[in-house]
Amino acid sequence: MSHLGERLSALVDGELRHAERERALAHLAFCAECRREVEATRALKSRLRSLDGPSMPADLTMSLLRMGEPGDPVPPRERPFPTFGGVPLPGPRSIAPPDNRPRGFLGGSAGPGRSRRRPAYVAVGVVSAAVALGSLFVVAGQDPGPSVAPPVEVFKQVHKTTVPYSNPPSATP
Amino acid sequence: MSRLLAVLALALVMALGLQGTAVAVPDDSENEDTGLPLLRQSATAARAQPYSGTMFTTSGAVLAVRNAPGTGMTIDSRAADPGAPAGGMLAPSDGMLRALGANYRVVESGGGSVCGRAARLVEALRHDGKVAARYWIDSASGIPLRREVLDGQGRIVRGEAFVEVTIATSRPLAHVSSGGRLSSEAVAALRSRGWTFPAILPGGLELANAAESGGYLKLGYSDGVSVVSVFVQRGNLDEERLAGWRSQRRDGHTIWIRDSAGLEMIWASGGHVYTVFADAPADVAAAAVLGLPHEADPGFWDRFARGADRVLSWVNPFA
Repeated sequence: MSHLGERLSALVDGELRHAERERALAHLAFCAECRREVEATRALKSRLRSLDGPSMPADLTMSLLRMGEPGDPVPPRERPFPTFGGVPLPGPRSIAPPDNRPRGFLGGSAGPGRSRRRPAYVAVGVVSAAVALGSLFVVAGQDPGPSVAPPVEVFKQVHKTTVPYSNPPSATP
Repeated sequence: MSRLLAVLALALVMALGLQGTAVAVPDDSENEDTGLPLLRQSATAARAQPYSGTMFTTSGAVLAVRNAPGTGMTIDSRAADPGAPAGGMLAPSDGMLRALGANYRVVESGGGSVCGRAARLVEALRHDGKVAARYWIDSASGIPLRREVLDGQGRIVRGEAFVEVTIATSRPLAHVSSGGRLSSEAVAALRSRGWTFPAILPGGLELANAAESGGYLKLGYSDGVSVVSVFVQRGNLDEERLAGWRSQRRDGHTIWIRDSAGLEMIWASGGHVYTVFADAPADVAAAAVLGLPHEADPGFWDRFARGADRVLSWVNPFA
């Protein structure tokens, strides 16, 4: 009589059909060697089930977090696809939506892209402040009164022809 | 009997003499102002006597002057009042003479000759004794023949003088009132309409007349010798239309000045525009200008705060 061989692990995993399973079990009833091997396999399987899941390595966790840092997206990988008529096919990065992730989320050091944008942000801020101050000055300069130009020659003629104290007699004594 | 006739004759002569010369208004305490009655008599003569001549002014003008009683004075065929600056102020008004007596000591100080005619000299003296003005008055007719205005250093800054004159017959004169003091009611009425102005300027320049006309206020100040006219308009000065004027920064704001025989200035202050003409020595005119409103232009923070207040008032629903 031949032993169970490869059918032994299938029996332990419950993968044998009903007829094969009956024949295997009949063999185990008379074969002590296969019976010990089945028990050893079941014991190993049970022990493996009781073990915890594998933990993620620490360096792998840090690598994944660095991928989520602000700044430029992850550099493109080498395209595995050939060009189409000399024109590269649009990749997922070129059609990706603009990066609007919040800046300085982790407070990490600024990347090369941030250092290039900072002067632009400062310039925009200065221009905005200047526009706001200029608006206040323009608003303040709008005096309510009308703009007048003195009729100088008329005034001068009035000055020269007016007699000092040329007042009508007062009613008071 | 003969003595009685002599007394009657003397009384008649004195009465006739007084009729010809007694034209002064004896309401002044003219103890020291010995020249003031003479000036008053001269002013009346300048209006009532017929005369004509050629007058030279320190501004370089040569004017043909003609005065006809009942018709008035013409200067180069243009009508003018002899009491106005255009008329050389030959016939100062009563108020002008009163101010002259109040601010100066007016004395008769000898005689002289103008256009070959004997003249009596009257001087207006400042408190320090320096001469502020001189008047030469024709001895026969009382018509003023020459006038000089001097500054504090004794320099002649303005003058008018006949270089040729023809005077008709002298005749008895009757005093004619020529303007009076500005009433307090008229001043109060102008101030109630929002005008603000001083009643007196430095140097004894008192408010001589004030009138609102054509959207502006005309103020006239005088000390009896000088005349300063101030025109006030509501609004902001349109500086772009001041061609021929030069700007000067004084006390934090801009004053526009035009070079001419007299002082001419324009500036803006407190929502009003001031235009000043002065027939006065430079020191008197400068002091008068300093007595008028001069608000400095708003500074950086003042203007910033004013703009912020205005914007806040626009968005404030409770304002």
